[in-house]
Amino acid sequence: MGIRFNEVSHKYSSFSDGNLSAIYQVSLKIKAKDEFIALVGHTGSGKTTLAKHMNALIFPTEGNVEIFNKIITKKRNRDIKYNEIRKKVGLVFQFPEYQLFEETVLKDIMFGPLNFHISKEEARNLAINALKLVGLDESYSNRNPYNLSGGEKKRVSIAGILAMDPDILVLDEPTSGLDPAGKRVLMELFKDIHKRTNKTIIIITHDMDLVYEYFSRAVVMNEGELVYDGSPESLFKEHDLSKNHLDYPNTIKVLTHLNKTLKLNLNVYQKTAIDALKEIEKAGIL
Amino acid sequence: MNGIIIGQFIPGDGFFYKVDPRSKIAGIFFLMIAVFLLKDIYQVLGALLLTFGLLIIGKISFIKVLKGLKPIFILLIFTFVFQILINRQGNILVDTNLNISLINIGLVIILFVIWRFLAKFKKFNFLLFLGFLFGSIFIFIYSSFSFDYNLTSFNLQIYEKGIEMSIFVVIRLLIIITLSTILTLTTKPTDLTQGLESLLSPLKKIGFNSEDFALIISISLRYIPTIFDEANKIMQAQASRGADFSEGKLKEKLKQVISLLIPMFIIAFMRSEELADAMESRNFVPGKARTRIHELNYSYRDVLVTAFTVVFFAVALLFRLNVLGY
Ligand SMILES: Nc1ncnc2c1ncn2[C@@H]1O[C@H](COP(=O)(O)OP(=O)(O)O)[C@@H](O)[C@H]1O
Ligand SMILES: [Mg+2]
Repeated sequence: MGIRFNEVSHKYSSFSDGNLSAIYQVSLKIKAKDEFIALVGHTGSGKTTLAKHMNALIFPTEGNVEIFNKIITKKRNRDIKYNEIRKKVGLVFQFPEYQLFEETVLKDIMFGPLNFHISKEEARNLAINALKLVGLDESYSNRNPYNLSGGEKKRVSIAGILAMDPDILVLDEPTSGLDPAGKRVLMELFKDIHKRTNKTIIIITHDMDLVYEYFSRAVVMNEGELVYDGSPESLFKEHDLSKNHLDYPNTIKVLTHLNKTLKLNLNVYQKTAIDALKEIEKAGIL
Repeated sequence: MNGIIIGQFIPGDGFFYKVDPRSKIAGIFFLMIAVFLLKDIYQVLGALLLTFGLLIIGKISFIKVLKGLKPIFILLIFTFVFQILINRQGNILVDTNLNISLINIGLVIILFVIWRFLAKFKKFNFLLFLGFLFGSIFIFIYSSFSFDYNLTSFNLQIYEKGIEMSIFVVIRLLIIITLSTILTLTTKPTDLTQGLESLLSPLKKIGFNSEDFALIISISLRYIPTIFDEANKIMQAQASRGADFSEGKLKEKLKQVISLLIPMFIIAFMRSEELADAMESRNFVPGKARTRIHELNYSYRDVLVTAFTVVFFAVALLFRLNVLGY
């Protein structure tokens, strides 16, 4: 078992009135290998809070989290090496500005491995590999991370975590703020890393198109509670998403609209734009 | 780190909450000067009683003022001891030798360990501290063993005037702290800056722009919690990369501190640039006259505060000039 949430609630201490939990009684199991999970929910639904529990950055105020057989509770436990948990579960934050600090890209990526007492040479190799893995060539290694574009910064920050070689990778909104093409490139990259290494990858996103197209498991948060855990297909087919303040993928929206306005009988559940186009062509209205 | 309160303002509705910040600032300023005009222990004792009277009028709990004293507690003790040792006027009260010897030092170290050990369990360890202090003085004065090796001895002399002066200085500090606590406890930071701006506005003639000054202060106050938030996020992001701020060698620690500071600076610069753009796009022009949501208004309370200040100041001045006396 990789990560297991047992009725976890978390209240931030600055919440003045006592009954507001950022997440409330969440139970969830994540395998140590082979999973590719989308974590979705509207802004403020508790996704980031949930993700921070996964590598013990914050502790539950109720319940417990089991991470690779270490049990994390409200209290800091002297017997648990929290740093080891962070090596096993890598968490990439939403904004790369919060972590880039070295004068070159390569040095910045080496920061993680060096913190885990890996020799300088080995850390260097890990960093070069990680850089390749996120699709940046070696010409980037000596550039200043602050002079990169938003998408490139994001890749560098992801490489910073990949270089630590975590067993599970958690990414907080890695595709936000990127153009549609950039989003797809990054998603292909994660899919590729997942295929090559079989690592469990958990991705927080708002983009339902990506959820539908790429993921096999979707976890939906709403107002701090976990409201759905299952396949995206059944999520979009059998559940009323408006209750959870979520949107349908564009393919489903467009095809449903066509069905309604043109009185057609298309199968609306198409994952990609190309599939949707084929379905429309089949109906012979083009 | 969450929910940090800037300044010591605590919402409430005592007398001083409704006093205009301008009269409060000016009043406290002149009262402080007046306290420094006072010359002897009876006068400052009187002033101390009056200050406590202010606390009662303002329904301000004494505990809160004591909390304000905590950070300067060491300074108070230091001042007290310093005054006692330095001043050599009046009748001599104590005159003994302190024997600084090997065994005595050892005993004091044992006492110190016991004190620190007990302090772990007891919350209010001021009494313990006093116990330690007097215990060690006792050891230095009275314990002397024939087989001990005496390093040096120190002649402790305490004079009447020394005790008087040390009490005088400590009371004066106490009054100053209490007065400033009354101000910060009952005035919102925004009101404080607005009051300061208004009071300093005559300085425009000599080129000091009080509006800019007030703006700088209010923006800084506004951004302190934000900066704390950002620092927290950066710390978590680096902890995710294995930075462990509690352990590690000095060299590693240095690196980890740098890994916090640099993003901190970059983000602060980004924020300030964004803020400048946002202000400009809402037509903020530096130096232009502005209206306010909350206008400052004087009331009968301000008359009372000002009258009290004037009388107090005048009396202090007359004492100083020996016009009043006993
Ligand atoms: N550091 C914090 N202090 C206080 N409240 C917080 C903090 N971080 C998040 N919250 C609150 O917790 C709730 C969940 O936030 P978050 O987990 O960031 O949601 P999401 O990532 O889904 O947008 C929100 O209501 C947010 O305001
Ligand atoms: Mg978030």
